[in-house]
Amino acid sequence: MENLSAQLLSDKFAGLKDKIFPSDVIEIGGFRINDSVITGFVVVFILLVIALILRLTVIRNWKTTPSGIQMFLEWLVSFFDKSADEMTENYSKLMGPYTLGAAAYICCGVLAEMFGFRPAIADIGACFALAGCTFIFIHTLGFVRKKARRFLHYLNPINIVTDFSVPISMTFRLFGSILSGMVIMDMIYILVESVWYFVLPLIIPAVLTPVFTLFHAFIQSYVFASLTLTFVQEAIELPPKKQKRPKKKAAKIQA
Amino acid sequence: MELLVTLFANFLATNGVAIGAGIAALTGLGAGIGMGIATGKAVEATARQPEAVGKIRTMLLFGLAFAESTAIYGLLVSLLLIFVA
Repeated sequence: MENLSAQLLSDKFAGLKDKIFPSDVIEIGGFRINDSVITGFVVVFILLVIALILRLTVIRNWKTTPSGIQMFLEWLVSFFDKSADEMTENYSKLMGPYTLGAAAYICCGVLAEMFGFRPAIADIGACFALAGCTFIFIHTLGFVRKKARRFLHYLNPINIVTDFSVPISMTFRLFGSILSGMVIMDMIYILVESVWYFVLPLIIPAVLTPVFTLFHAFIQSYVFASLTLTFVQEAIELPPKKQKRPKKKAAKIQA
Repeated sequence: MELLVTLFANFLATNGVAIGAGIAALTGLGAGIGMGIATGKAVEATARQPEAVGKIRTMLLFGLAFAESTAIYGLLVSLLLIFVA
């Protein structure tokens, strides 16, 4: 029994081992580029080209009676701007575009899987870069808003531990969820190969791809954006002002 | 007695990785319970106050993402145990 399962695993899922971690494509000295990074370049290039095309066609002919694509663009931009406005009052000009950019990169980087690339986010470096950006934003904005009072926050050692656990947990949440979706899809592709009924190998991946790829792409990009906003809001929150004494005196005098 | 210990040690040495991977996958238990409680509470809140559906949904997704992350850590650990160790 034990040998049977081991044989099954070694025979069919041997290819899975190579897919869990990205493989290096280009290697020049210590400078290595793996396939996830190449997908990242492709995704960024495509996003920039789409943005340029939209800028030259839709935004140039901005109308008061909006067309469908204009409606979509307005909804997308105002969704991120509004949530940034609610959470980070004065810095929404900075945080709105950042969260939209990060969410677009995560979403499109994962959706690239449907075209046969390795997802750009399934590389721990990409996740750590995004989480590091958030980390920098949290602390610089905290200092900009609260000035010297921010140092009080670092006096407590527990706060420092919490601060450093933020980028790590964000990295592993993003990486783990995207990687798990990718591994499950790869497993399904391997299992489907052995099913040689006529239409089944076509239908099963088509049904399961939205569950493991589309869902994760949208949910994780949304979660990343709103987590960033929440942590920034926490960092720039001013302590509540104390009730001034003179008010009471004035009230007494009046009475 | 010594034979038993050696047998057990041998068993752990050969199959310990698989057992560890299985135990790591048990994190799904806690995550499942947490997600179930969160969803149930969200349904209750929506039934009580249907006009707050949008806010409840965003909060629910947020909480679900947090609850899910522990399960993801477990999955990562078991994947690393199977394929790397």
